[in-house]
Amino acid sequence: MSLTAGPEAHGPAANSAPGGPVSAEAVTLRQLPERPQAAEPAPPFQTWTQPDQSIWALFHRRGPAYLLRFRGLADFEISADGRSVTCWPAPGTPEASVRHLYLNQALPLALSRQGRLVLHASAIEAQGVAAAFLGPSGRGKSTLAASFATSGSRFLTDDGLQIALHGAQAEVVPSHPSIRLWEDSGQALLAASAPAAPPVHYTRKTRFLAGEGLAFCERPCPLRRAYLLGPGLAAQVSIRPCQASDAFMGMVRNSFLLDIGEQQMLTRHFDDIARLANLPIHYHLDYPRDYARLPEVRAAVLRHLADPEDTP
Amino acid sequence: MTLSDSVTIPQDVLARQVGEETVILDLASGRYFGLDAVGARIWQLLTEGLQPAAVRDAVVAEYEVEPQQAETDLLRLLRELQAQGLLRIG
Repeated sequence: MSLTAGPEAHGPAANSAPGGPVSAEAVTLRQLPERPQAAEPAPPFQTWTQPDQSIWALFHRRGPAYLLRFRGLADFEISADGRSVTCWPAPGTPEASVRHLYLNQALPLALSRQGRLVLHASAIEAQGVAAAFLGPSGRGKSTLAASFATSGSRFLTDDGLQIALHGAQAEVVPSHPSIRLWEDSGQALLAASAPAAPPVHYTRKTRFLAGEGLAFCERPCPLRRAYLLGPGLAAQVSIRPCQASDAFMGMVRNSFLLDIGEQQMLTRHFDDIARLANLPIHYHLDYPRDYARLPEVRAAVLRHLADPEDTP
Repeated sequence: MTLSDSVTIPQDVLARQVGEETVILDLASGRYFGLDAVGARIWQLLTEGLQPAAVRDAVVAEYEVEPQQAETDLLRLLRELQAQGLLRIG
């Protein structure tokens, strides 16, 4: 008999996920003129830091609403119900950077404030069903999504995966029709002429836009498999069952939740993750991080998706 | 803590069955914990209102374990739960 400590409830690190057409309907963005970032009267209730420990984002309460501050970049005020976001760029922040921050950071948090389950995961559609790839930044979620979307399948999101629970079924809600990739992945998977959003000054990732060469699925899809990505230590593609408790803790570590101090929302989040963890759809996926091996990875996932003996 | 103590689970401690294990959320701290299958069964007995001595008796009957071993293991778990704020005495 043992008690193990799990992670604290928290949002994921920076480099989080975009929203999309469906998300845009669920949240209203109002962008106001740029202004200096005046000091807030109270200290932040949460802080995100970069790997080098520099501050990336500060979370403040403003009455029932929330202020999400990216120092030197922009402020986003998220309404108490998560249905509206007001943005004030900091002086000199390019429009493309403001847009990128909104899609990747503010929007997933606003959606979580609505009680939606939003995970740090990518998802693809193949054979009419969805497969999700869950893991921290750098595990290859976006690269996998792009690999599938350039090879006959379609992507639903490259991060900020929204899941709708309907009884014992889970459904993936499509997100913004774009995938952010580092330069090496972009060069390996896409043509030099692939359409992309304007560059963002604070990151070297490129946001590639959905189109003929990067197929996007704009309809919700039933979630057939959820893969927790390993660190890339496997010499061969490896897919093995994931215990419900491991799936649960993995989702806690890789989910968005704006205010972990708000107990009603935290309770709902806990219930949703437990329901999702109890579905027989969770697996560990690891593979060598080698672009030349991606066809093997895709083939293994597609076979696994289609396996009738392993269908929930 | 001893088996003669009376224990309660704080109101802001939630638990859900996930697979064969139980996951616990302490709303006050936002921390999550996991209990293995045996720990999960003990937690279930506690939520049903059984006190430590009765939990010990149930464990002995269900798992065919020596009473002394059951008592030692149970006390260790209960003390750990208490240390994490997931259980209160009295």
